[in-house]
Amino acid sequence: MTSRRLFLQRSGFGLGALAASDFLRAADEVADANPMAVKQPHFTPKIKRVIHLFMNGGPSQVDTFDPKPQLTKLDGKPLPDSIKERLQPVQRARVGHIFASPFKFQKHGQSGLEVSELFPNVAKHADSLCVIRSMTSDIANHSPGLLMMNCGHTVLERPSIGSWVLYGLGSESADLPGYVVLMPSGLPTAQSKNWTSAFLPGMYQGTHIETAGKGQLIPDLTRHDLSIGNQRAQLALTRSLNERHARHHPGDERLESRIYSMELAFRMQSAATDAFDLKGESEATRAAYGDTPVGNNILLARRLAERGVRYIQCYHGVGQPWDSHSALVKNHEKLCSEADRPIAALLHDLKERGLWDDTLVIWGGEMGRTSTYQGSSDKPAVFGRDHHVDGFTVWLAGGAVKAGHVHGITDDFGLGVASDPVHVHDLHATILHLFGLDHKKLTYRYSGRDFRLTDVHGNVITELLA
Amino acid sequence: MHPRLVILYVLSLALPLHAASTKPEAAAKGIAFFENKIRPVLVEHCYKCHSEAEGERKGGLLLDRQSGWLDGGDSGQAVVPGDVEGSLVIQAVRYGDEDTAMPPKYQLDTEVVALLEQWVKMGAPGPKQDMGETEFSKLGDQEVIFEKAKTHWAFQPVHAVEPPKADDAGWNEHPIDRFIFAKLKENKLTPSPQAKAHVLERRLSYDLTGLPPDAEKPASVDDLLKSPHFGERFARLWLDVARYADTANTTVPATKMVSYYPYAFTYRDYVIAAFNADKPYDRFIKEQLAADLMGLKDRSPEQAALGFIAVTPFLTNPNDFADDMIDTTMRGFMGLTVACARCHDHKFEPVPTADYYSLHGVFTSIDKPPPHLIDEFPLIDGYDVTAEQRADFEAKENVIDKKVAAAKKSGKLVGARQKLSEVIQKSDLAELVTYNDGAPARAIIVKDKTRPVTSKIFLRGEPDTRGDLVPRRFLKLLDPKQEPFPANNSGRLALAEHIASKDNPLTARVFVNRVWGALMGGYLVDTPSDFGLQGAAPTHPELLDWLAADFMTHGWSLKHLVRTIVTSRVYQQSSDVREDMAAIDPTNTWYHRANAKRLSIEEIRDSVLALSGQLDRSLKGHPKPLWGPDYTHRRAIYGVVDRVNNDPTLRAFDFPSPTASADRRTENIVPQQSLFALNSPFIIEQSAALVENLQLSEGMSAAERVNALFHRVYRRDAHEVEQRRIAGFIALMEKRNTNPWPLIAQSLLTSNELLYVD
Repeated sequence: MTSRRLFLQRSGFGLGALAASDFLRAADEVADANPMAVKQPHFTPKIKRVIHLFMNGGPSQVDTFDPKPQLTKLDGKPLPDSIKERLQPVQRARVGHIFASPFKFQKHGQSGLEVSELFPNVAKHADSLCVIRSMTSDIANHSPGLLMMNCGHTVLERPSIGSWVLYGLGSESADLPGYVVLMPSGLPTAQSKNWTSAFLPGMYQGTHIETAGKGQLIPDLTRHDLSIGNQRAQLALTRSLNERHARHHPGDERLESRIYSMELAFRMQSAATDAFDLKGESEATRAAYGDTPVGNNILLARRLAERGVRYIQCYHGVGQPWDSHSALVKNHEKLCSEADRPIAALLHDLKERGLWDDTLVIWGGEMGRTSTYQGSSDKPAVFGRDHHVDGFTVWLAGGAVKAGHVHGITDDFGLGVASDPVHVHDLHATILHLFGLDHKKLTYRYSGRDFRLTDVHGNVITELLA
Repeated sequence: MHPRLVILYVLSLALPLHAASTKPEAAAKGIAFFENKIRPVLVEHCYKCHSEAEGERKGGLLLDRQSGWLDGGDSGQAVVPGDVEGSLVIQAVRYGDEDTAMPPKYQLDTEVVALLEQWVKMGAPGPKQDMGETEFSKLGDQEVIFEKAKTHWAFQPVHAVEPPKADDAGWNEHPIDRFIFAKLKENKLTPSPQAKAHVLERRLSYDLTGLPPDAEKPASVDDLLKSPHFGERFARLWLDVARYADTANTTVPATKMVSYYPYAFTYRDYVIAAFNADKPYDRFIKEQLAADLMGLKDRSPEQAALGFIAVTPFLTNPNDFADDMIDTTMRGFMGLTVACARCHDHKFEPVPTADYYSLHGVFTSIDKPPPHLIDEFPLIDGYDVTAEQRADFEAKENVIDKKVAAAKKSGKLVGARQKLSEVIQKSDLAELVTYNDGAPARAIIVKDKTRPVTSKIFLRGEPDTRGDLVPRRFLKLLDPKQEPFPANNSGRLALAEHIASKDNPLTARVFVNRVWGALMGGYLVDTPSDFGLQGAAPTHPELLDWLAADFMTHGWSLKHLVRTIVTSRVYQQSSDVREDMAAIDPTNTWYHRANAKRLSIEEIRDSVLALSGQLDRSLKGHPKPLWGPDYTHRRAIYGVVDRVNNDPTLRAFDFPSPTASADRRTENIVPQQSLFALNSPFIIEQSAALVENLQLSEGMSAAERVNALFHRVYRRDAHEVEQRRIAGFIALMEKRNTNPWPLIAQSLLTSNELLYVD
């Protein structure tokens, strides 16, 4: 079984360690018990990994990827009552007048895909994007929005999509966590619930790493007074103790998760030292990504993708940075200028390095924003946009999805979906489908019933597939 | 009209008429200046905290309209038109006084400050517009919610229910067992057999002291309750709730050093001592809120109970401080999310915004002495300082004092207005006093202001006005008469008496649930700091009430409560998973078995030191580093908790952020925890120390040595299979000229058998 042999090699069972016969047996057990071993999908997968560029806080679609030229004429006019009714109550209560985008849109590439001036570099990849303009979610607020986008439920603690994917497919990387959440620093709103494994075993939960830290990104990453071979042998000993202990404590999944976590940590020592060291990147690459907290975060995502990490999320920043209730122009100019270059560099690198075909890039927030401003202010400098979940934009990119394609239409006011709505559940079903997983079959029995990421919802949106 | 009169009439109108005729023009110019030059500055630097659009009105101040800066915030009128020097906004952006410096994290460019000065000189023109009451401010109809609250379980008086009879003799003796057994039966579950003696011994030792059992002599429940480590164990639980830390959440701007609370540790020690002395919980509550109003003796260490208030994350901003106190007090003691009513009536709970500002008045009537003014904090008894420690401290203090004196004399400033002498006190002196064992202990305290404050409601949606004055008083829900607190003090004692009352339906329930959760590894109410309408329903409401009533009848005694729980059969069950039962009750909601519990990071650290023979068991004292070259050998509860530089190891092991009251610890398994086990210098060093401490003699066989190790760490013989494995490891290491013993010790110390308590 090649994967086992591969695992053995990667596990660092060097030749020396094979001397003692007991340790050979231990090594065999290690390989057999690997709970992250690659598992067969339900059908032939199109992708091997996801890089989710999470614009937490909710970027404004009407200022980026969903132009609404009709609104220019209506700028500053009140919203018709019939349209207002489409908003969720909280948004309705504080809705202001129509706020046409102050940003210019232009058609790009052969596809003529429209992108605003806020994303000049991403626009160069317009022919590679698959823009969904008709995303919908349930509750127009951050915490429920984030939990819906990540875990498929607005309130209850449910496993995140990355956890489901690892549970379904295992990890391609024996040396790094299969599911990594990168943040320049701090935590997004709703914190670690965004990458929880909930009732799935703990080993499937995302590993959160702050990438703009001052010192070592990961403390205690290496040990200097012991050779790696000797440490491997020591860990095999710990493992044998733990496995005997686990055999006497059947039914406690935490024990196995921790055994796995110890093995992973061992292999991470060298793998993570390498993966998180940007010194190996050329100056040109560093410059292309911008050498900023957001840029380095995205560059690290590429390095992890190259190393077989299956599910990678990059949050833009702590809390909900895209949340632009006021001064949207300034906020979005700043946020887009932080994100534009590194995202374009990432798309470029994926194509350049042969990762394009089997990587799915997802760009978007937990929701979008209203096409109206908020409150009753009348000064463009303070105009912001409120939360919005009925017709916002998420785009996909990669060899597995249609390129230069727009899916779905929002209404003239950008406040509802006119055709082809895609609910977050549908997006989840589609992502799992690309991984070769049937979202209706990927289930976990817990508390007397079978749970799945999409609950009782979700349809694969075949129109998105290449 | 008489011509003269006409002239007079015209003259009398002349001035106003003139002004009126030119005003629109000037006003338009002024507003244009505001919109073009000033608004962008405010948007960029101020609106996040001071605008309607962001829904934030920090310090009560709005800067998006004229009325906002004219009415000002809690510190008073923010802008005096025309008076640059007298305008607080200008003082703030000049960054003279760090306590009022704005924006809080960085200083504006000089040109920007000059622009704002120009604007004030012009008379601070700006738009007047008001938002009026918005629908948002009306969300959540309190009348409807109060109606719902009438039947909400947690708001009903506690009354002791007679435990149901169990038809199993063994489960019919202890009242707790009778309640549990009834629910097990109802859910078609059977209880588990009693855990083995050594399992129970270990469980009790960790649950009651946070330490592994003493290898020498088995301890009874009474022994453990009497151990000084009992207080340490339960104090750590409480310190999570009390968001304890040794620093504020800010740095000293001039030096970037963290803002220390040099005497926070005396509060930590107070909590430990209170639990060790089994101080009645109602008294414990009152002291934490109002020790200064309870006639304590001079030098009494109990004055430090006020650390509950004084260790707030918020050093300066009075409204953030009040908010933190309302949140910590209400969720911590009563499981009510009152802090949500800061901007509007609570949308889900029976808490009108007036309640929030009643308490706001109480907490803004507090005077917190600046932590660097050491003499403001009273000296207390109970701390021994050796002559040597004293001399060391005095020598170092002397050096700093001299610097302070020289700086005072020279009147030197750092930046625009900060006195160098103060910067030294806040940085070097505060750090020395925090850490140096020779610094005499002083209670961390707060005082009442000479004149207590009555707060006005800040009405969201009516931003131009503060709402009505609300007297300092208790929550409407629990004190429908709404009697005001005494007029002559902050009302902290009155507040404490309302909380620590047998008639308060929440206080005892919330506390017994916390203790139950700590001992049982699962809660009767799964949201330990939220007993409101949004909180989880109790799984065993009658048991919860019985426990609460019994707790109060027995003098609010924590030790009685703990003894009651651990002497039950349900506590003493085996934690083994039974497949048939797990199928029905996978989360063990009904306690059909005991929950195996993972050690906290503090317990891991303490255990490693205890087992290596290196644990310094002394009580009390200044905070110590937990890791790094000079890590302490004392228990982790004595480690420094730094809000600014949150310890990454603690964080990896789910130590809660001390920026807000924590209801419970999460339990994650992340590879960073395993890296700590593999590579942490602390673990490596203590593993070697353990081997040394065992004094394995030359004459012992390898198997005997292994057994000695196993006895120390696991308190059992090594199994034959384990012996074989280890023999193989020893052979391999010896071939490689590596000492195997510290590595074996490390394996044991970081194994699941140590990490999980059955």
